[in-house]
Amino acid sequence: MIDRHLLPNEIDLIVDGDVGFGVAPLRAHLRSCGECRNRVEEAREIVAALEELPHLAPSSLFADRVMGQVQVFEPWHVAARNTARRFVPRSVPARVAVALGGVAATFMLGVISIFAATRLDLVALATSAAVTRARGLVATVVEAIVGATLGPTALDFIRATGAIGLATSLLFLLVIATIAVLGVRRLALASSRRSGGS
Amino acid sequence: MAPTLDLRNLPDADVVALAQEGRETAFRELIRRYERPVFSLVYRMVRDRSAAEDLAQETFIKVLNHIDRYVPEFKFSSWLFKIANNLAIDHLRKKQLPTVSIDGAPDATTAAQIEATSFELASHAESALDELEARELGGAIERAIAALRPEYRACIMLRHVEGRSYEEIAATLDLPLGTVKTYIHRARHELRRALEGVR
Repeated sequence: MIDRHLLPNEIDLIVDGDVGFGVAPLRAHLRSCGECRNRVEEAREIVAALEELPHLAPSSLFADRVMGQVQVFEPWHVAARNTARRFVPRSVPARVAVALGGVAATFMLGVISIFAATRLDLVALATSAAVTRARGLVATVVEAIVGATLGPTALDFIRATGAIGLATSLLFLLVIATIAVLGVRRLALASSRRSGGS
Repeated sequence: MAPTLDLRNLPDADVVALAQEGRETAFRELIRRYERPVFSLVYRMVRDRSAAEDLAQETFIKVLNHIDRYVPEFKFSSWLFKIANNLAIDHLRKKQLPTVSIDGAPDATTAAQIEATSFELASHAESALDELEARELGGAIERAIAALRPEYRACIMLRHVEGRSYEEIAATLDLPLGTVKTYIHRARHELRRALEGVR
């Protein structure tokens, strides 16, 4: 039993509803001391008044003003997941059909891969043929572009000199384009100065 | 299109996770939940409605624009209150608002100076209606809170208006637990003294 008045921090312990080991003697003292009981009661009144304080509201446009300055950003993985979800059908039969199609496609790809792995010579031949075909296509397109822009003489030059001729022609084209851009820019500047001065 | 969710029943952590996925409704839900607590805390710190509105707005903009940095180990509301409190303290420092003590200014040395700078809960210059309001405990307590030091104010508001534990307040305000207990104890003591004539 405590035979003195409670200290302020001891009053706080009781007001906070502390149930620690040292609180029982404090409560026992309270039962016999009217002065301390009054002090605890006063402290409780303050706490009760504080707890009754209302939340204050900001203006009604608060949320809109905040959202006006918040960047809602969808991370790439969420965007990818949402995009993938768009392709998933909603009905169960359609989902089953898509799943079966996926399984069938995976099976076919697996079979083709195994076949290709066992016939590597065939794969090499097919790849070589595809590369030759692609190279021929690119050469045709480049020839068409060079022929249209630089004329048949340049085309003959490129054919005669091969890759070096092609690189020289491209460099020549680049220089001409740069000179043309600079010339147009200079003309535009001179024109704007003239119109600004008049 | 993403399915519509009723966000009102979800815990904060789930709403934050949805906001991190870029759902605007989740951002709005977080604002709806905390606009009043944050505004109340800031308003009671700075005592200026317009400044409080700006600071509360800044708090949400900062937090929501960096929602990807939120770590679930920390309570979302604690993070929000921490930013709000820091902004309010910065504002008070910038404005260099003098801390009004009910015992007079700290630099007051003579009795006349103490009397001249001491805080009265109900000023004689106020109208009869204001006087009556100040006599009511609710109005008087607001005035008494305004007279507390800002750090006491933040602690007492978080403890008794927001119902936070001492540990949460310590984490929110980056203060040692003992300091929080001391601040709350002193704040209650000052409030008790300030309200002696009112109750």
